[in-house]
Formats: sequence, structure tokens, C-alpha cells
Amino acid sequence: MSSPLPCYHCGLPVPAGSRFEARVLDQPRAFCCPGCQAVAEAIVAGGLDGYYRHRSDSAINPQTLPKALPDELALYDRDEVQRNFVEHQGELSETRLLIEGISCAACGWLIEKHLRSLPGVAEASLNLSNQRLQVRWADSQIPLSQLLAELRRIGYAGHPWQDDEASARLAEENRRSMRQIGVAGLLWMQVMMAAMATWPEFNVDLSPELDKILRWTSLFLTTPIVFYCCGQFFRGALRDLRTRHLTMDVSVSLAIGGAYVAGIWSTVTGVGELYFDAVGMFALFLLAGRYLERRARERTAAATAQLVSLLPPSCLRLDERGQSQRVLLRELAIGDRVLVPPGAQLPADGRILAGQSSIDESLLTGEYLPLPRGEGDAVTAGTLNVEGPLTIEVGALGENTRLSAIVRLLERAQADKPRMAELADRVAQWFLLVVLGFAAVVGVVWWQIDSERAFWIVLALLVATCPCALSLATPTALTTATGSLHKLGLLLTRGHVLEGLKQIDTVIFDKTGTLSEGRLTLERIETLRELDADACLALAAALEHGSEHPIARAFGHCSQGAEQLASEPGQGLEGVVDGRRLRIGQPGYVAALAGREAPAIPGERGQWLLLGDTRGPLAWFVLDDLLREDAPELIAACRAQGWDILLLSGDSSPMVGEVARRLGIDDARGGLTPDAKLAVLKDLHQRGRRVLMLGDGVNDVPVLAGADISVAMGSATDLAKTSADAVLLSNHLGSLVQAFALARRTRRIIVENLAWATLYNGLVLPFAAVGWVTPLWAAVGMSASSLLVVLNALRLARV
Amino acid sequence: MSAIYILIPIAVGLVGFAIWLFFWAVDNGQYDDLDSPAHSILFDDEDPQHKAGIAEADKGDEPKDEPRA
Repeated sequence: MSSPLPCYHCGLPVPAGSRFEARVLDQPRAFCCPGCQAVAEAIVAGGLDGYYRHRSDSAINPQTLPKALPDELALYDRDEVQRNFVEHQGELSETRLLIEGISCAACGWLIEKHLRSLPGVAEASLNLSNQRLQVRWADSQIPLSQLLAELRRIGYAGHPWQDDEASARLAEENRRSMRQIGVAGLLWMQVMMAAMATWPEFNVDLSPELDKILRWTSLFLTTPIVFYCCGQFFRGALRDLRTRHLTMDVSVSLAIGGAYVAGIWSTVTGVGELYFDAVGMFALFLLAGRYLERRARERTAAATAQLVSLLPPSCLRLDERGQSQRVLLRELAIGDRVLVPPGAQLPADGRILAGQSSIDESLLTGEYLPLPRGEGDAVTAGTLNVEGPLTIEVGALGENTRLSAIVRLLERAQADKPRMAELADRVAQWFLLVVLGFAAVVGVVWWQIDSERAFWIVLALLVATCPCALSLATPTALTTATGSLHKLGLLLTRGHVLEGLKQIDTVIFDKTGTLSEGRLTLERIETLRELDADACLALAAALEHGSEHPIARAFGHCSQGAEQLASEPGQGLEGVVDGRRLRIGQPGYVAALAGREAPAIPGERGQWLLLGDTRGPLAWFVLDDLLREDAPELIAACRAQGWDILLLSGDSSPMVGEVARRLGIDDARGGLTPDAKLAVLKDLHQRGRRVLMLGDGVNDVPVLAGADISVAMGSATDLAKTSADAVLLSNHLGSLVQAFALARRTRRIIVENLAWATLYNGLVLPFAAVGWVTPLWAAVGMSASSLLVVLNALRLARV
Repeated sequence: MSAIYILIPIAVGLVGFAIWLFFWAVDNGQYDDLDSPAHSILFDDEDPQHKAGIAEADKGDEPKDEPRA
């Protein structure tokens, strides 16, 4: 039914017989939907078709962006709304927008170019790493709502954005680390020049007077490194010693502190070796390693953190005379009446006053079919109204909604999340014990032999065994692996994923939206009369053309819609195609057109729709939530790892058992509330299991937050994405299999790096003990081992 | 060797200046986005001013040659 041709804009398959075309880069190109076509035409019309030449990835389908109505955007022009996030400087206004839909670097160019070409826009610059757009414009010439609309025209969504405290602090910390790295690097090079001149290996008839000057110079230059850059090591060491832990910080502090204090002594007295260059080198390497690690671990936290928009930003409130007015969500009060058009999200918990429709609760409960709801029924904020307009009396808002209850559950789960021991920490502990023991023995022995030299030999030992390479081992491997995984479509948001995967022994899957597509797809067509399946599909597509109903999407796009279209909420659609009056929908409704009895639905599973004309039924359409193609591959990979597999779903239909049977999952449980899912996880934890969770809905969020490692689908709700440790951007379960393999390789590289670093330090111990290690050899060994570790980690860049 | 008495203060002064410059750059947000500048250079070819500049340079250097693509 589908042709393999990918949409020129978004890469999704173009449905057969589609006529969405446009000329891009002097060639006619086919598109999958009117949305992509419109975006491409807008880009070409703006003279920005260079975007298509330079992009490295397909764009996001504009239909996947959150919907925004023109009058909703217009709300952002109101002064009291803008006050929170817009700054005015004379004529110009300035704001920061969080941009959704960025897929590659070319997007940044496209957005900047397009906005700058608009009259009234003074400046637009996009930060690709956190996806923030800074824009300055003249309010008198172009309102903010139009800027947002222009972004939508080229296929992106912009959200007004205000830095919260946490992200502001994160940005400040990043800048401070950068400053510390800079200071350490610049001063180290100067210290090296001064200190190395005093070493015997480079000493060319240095007068004692000059020697003194060089010593004082390097002391002067080293002091800022120790006090400005290394404070965090000393603080960390103190904290760890108080809790009786031996960590890398303790070891590093001993080496840096020892070398600095001994350096002061030797500067003042003029005897002894100078290790100031080692101090600078430690500081630079260790700070760089930490900076890399932080960037790898917190990469996307900034990009996604604040986009937790589970509820629509605005809604239609009805006044006494029944007139609707669009208001912001926070202007809503309990007891208000709200009009929810089909295709819109419910803004609050409440009761239906008027209207008949079906509600899609899949994100909240995991039920995969929309449920019928009518007058008097209770409805929940965050669910989707599917069919007809509803009038709702607001019963609970904000904190008191069921949705918020789930969010609170999430916070509790997050607090209980077990911490995974990091490999490097464990190695460091042993390493440090051995080194300290060895140093004590060597010190005592040398005290007997030559008490003058004992101190300097112990110092050389501590400096030479400073775990520089050891602390670079993990960050460098994590940084490269995170980059490679990003290319595979898996975005790590927290760093313990790669190391922790080895400890996992149980995996929990969600069904709807994770193992299955999470949307109704046409499974098959059963014809009842002379027309064949393709002809029936064309008729159905014409009827569903322009419908907002999620079912409509299953029929694909068609260029020409039916005439005299009428919809009967909960029943179906009626229209005229090529002079033929047709109905599609519930059997009774369709059969009534021919004046007949409704035929019985011949099957159980899925949603059955009937198509018929005035002479009787034409065909059955079976719609179902299909399994993702690569789900069996993922299950097989999990089984190959020896993991126990669990399927936990909120869906109470027999579909859960069916999916489990098809995938060969023994333990499948359906109809679970978020509470119950979390209870299962707690039970597993109590039995000492390490759990990986893969999910997408709001109902999975508490488990995602509590699991040892959690992965959210790229199509998941924002809340699920932010509470998970990784996001599967590509939505291909197959990428996860590749990611598992890469995670294994990463772990191997980390182990190799740790082994090498310990080996180097072990080898250098005897030489240091007999007093052969001079500052020169300490520096050479340290840089060589660090370089080796970094190069080894770079091997992970090859996917 | 008396030159060193002047050179050391100069070196220290230069380092001080370099650190000041680096702090200024960090506070100015120069290091906030380490990803986009690497890509933005690719799009210079699309800039009409840049294209005009190349065309002009080609004309000036080799008047008989075809303009480069």
C-alpha cells in the first residue's frame, strides 16, 4: 500500500497517489503531506533552499509539533503575558524562545536567516546546544505572535522561555569551570617554563641568584592555580574523608597539596625539587576531564528540562451568554465552563455538561482506543478530545488534578532511585589504599637509610602516582560514546546509563507507544461487494480527508476530499464522492444509509469501521495499534543479554496478552495504574533486581523515574522524556540494540583505560621508591599515560 | 643574563592580560555554544554578499575565465 519514496522534507514515506509536490533546488520533489509541502514552499519562497543542500538530517514532520491556533499565539501579544519573558530596550524588545523541531545544524541557519529577513527583526541567533533562540525585534513593526507564526511556517515551534534558577546555576557553573580550565592552562605553561629551567636535565650554568628568581616566579604563578582552580578537589576530599570514603579527590588533593607545600619549602630554602609544573598539569587535565564528563552527563538536561507542557497553554472559556473567549490556563477558575473542540487537549479535570465524544486517554492510562464519553461523565486534564465539541465544568485545576498526582508520584520515585556505583570510584578506593600503604613503607625504609631524602622520595612517589590518567579514563570514554550514541538516535541525558547497563538483569516494557506504534493503523480491509480494497480505501480516504480524528490519519492523505461532508459524533462521517453518497463509521450508522440492519462485527481485536453506500455495506476496515517492526529484534537482544522481560501496561484489553504472545514475553500484566506499576518496580528492587525501563506515557513516568536506567521513546510525552535517563530520538527500537552493543564496548574501553592507568602507576611505583623519579620523568610518564587513555577512548567515535 | 629581569615581568604581565581576555570572552558567552559555529561556516557559500565577493575577485584576477561554481 505504501511506496518506498521518502518525503523530501521529513523523510516519512510518501503515500501512494499523493500529489504533494513542489520545486526545490530545481527539481520536482514529492512530499508526504500538505504540512511538509507548505513548509518546503515557504523555505523556497524565502530563497533559503540552501537548507536542503546542507542539512545532514531530515526535518521533523510539522504535524508532530504541538498544535497552536492563531488566536492562541495572539495571547502572547498581551502585555501582562509578555511581562514575564520579554525585555524592552527603547524601540526594541528582546526575548528568548525555546525552539522545538531542530534536527541538524542547517536548521539553525534556516531559522536565523528567515527571521532576520523579516522587517522589524534586528537580531536572531540560535544556540544549537541548548536550542534557545535569542531574538530582538521592533514591536511596532511585527508582533511576537507573528514571529512565532513565521517559525511555524518554516517547520519549527517556538516557546517563550524564562530561565529558572536551576538552569541559570548550571550555566554559571559551566562558565566557572571554563574560567578555571583557562587559568590552569595559561598559568601552567608559564610555570613550566620557569620550573623546568631549574631541573638538572635542562640546567645550563644557572647562577644561584637566577635559580632563586625562577623558583619565586613559579611559586607566584602556581598559587592562583592551587587556590582558584583546585578548590573543588580539596573540598571534595574533605567531604569524602568526613564520610570515611577514599576517593579520587583525596588522592588528587594529596598530590597537589603535597607538591605545592613542598614547593614553597624548597623555594624558601633553595634546596629540593620543584614540582610546580606537575601541579599545573594535574589541574588542567583533571579539570578538563571533569568538564567533559559534565557536558556528557548533562547534555540535554538543559535542552528538554523546561518543556514540560502536559497541558495546553490556553483554552476557550464560555461566559454567561455562551460566548467563548480564549484565555490563558492560569486565568481559569473552578466552576468555569470550558469549550473543548475536537482535537484539543482538556485543560482541567471536570465533568461533561454537554456534548458527546470519545476521549483518548492513552498517555495517562495506556488504553489504546479512545473511550466514548457523554454528558455527566468525569474527564481528566491532559487527555485528548477526539470527536465532537464538549462543554466541561472545571472541577479541579493545577495541583489538584489527577495529572499532578502522577507528577507527585514521580517525585517520590525519583527520591528512591538507587544510585549506581561508578566503576572509577571503586577502582580509586583500592588504588589509593595501595598507594598510601606503599608510600608509608617507602617513607619508613628511607628514613632509616637517608632521612634527608625520605621526604622528597615520598613526595615524588605521591606525585608520580597521582591518578591523572585514572580520572581521565571514564570522562573521555563517556564523552565519545555519548557522541556516537547521538548519531544512532539515542540521546543520553544522564551519564550512568553506559556504565550501569552491565548491572541490569530485568527489563520492563510498556506496551502502547513503546512496543506498539501507539496510534491506530490500518491493518487490513475486508471487502463485501464488487469494489476492490484499493478502491474502497480511496473512497474512505476521501471521506476522512480533513478530519481531525486520529482514525483519519490511518487512511493516509488524499488530494481531494468528499463533498457535502457531515459528521455524526460517535457514529461516523457522511459525504458524496464522485456523485456517490457514502458513510463510514459504526455499522448501525452506515447500514442505516441503505435502510438495512447493522451487520455484526466479524472479529474481536481492533477497531472495526464499516464503509457503505445507499445500496449497502462496501467493506470493513480493521484498525489496530500495530507492533513496531523492530520490537521482536529488541526482545531477542534483551533475551540474549539474559535479562528477565516484563510487560506492564495500563491497557486492560486482551491486546496486552496478544502482544506478549506474539513477542514471546511470559510475564505480561495489563490494566495497571501508575501506582501499581511503581509497586511492581519496588518489589523488584526489594528482591535486589536492577531494572531497565522503556516507556513513553505519563503513566510510565513514575517507573521511568524510579528505574535504575530508563529510556523514553522520542515520541513520548515531555514529562516522560525529562524523567528518563535516555531518550530514543529515532523511535527505532533497533537503535537500542546497537546502543547496547556500544555500551558494552564503552564499558570495555573504560575498563581498559582504568587497567592501563593503574598499570602505569604500578610500574612507576618501584622506580619512585628507589628514588629514580625526577620531576622530568614524572611529567613525561603522566602526559604519556593520559594521552594513551584519551586516544583509546577516541576509538569509540567509530560506530 | 640581565635581560631576564625584564623578560619575567613582561611574561607575567602577558599572562595576566591573557587571563583577563579569556575571562572577558567567557563572560561574553563566547564559549556557551560550542556546536553551531563549526557548522555555520558551511553556509557562507549561501550568502549573497559572499557570492558577489567571489565573483568580483574572479573577475579582477582572471578576466577571461568563467566564474567558478
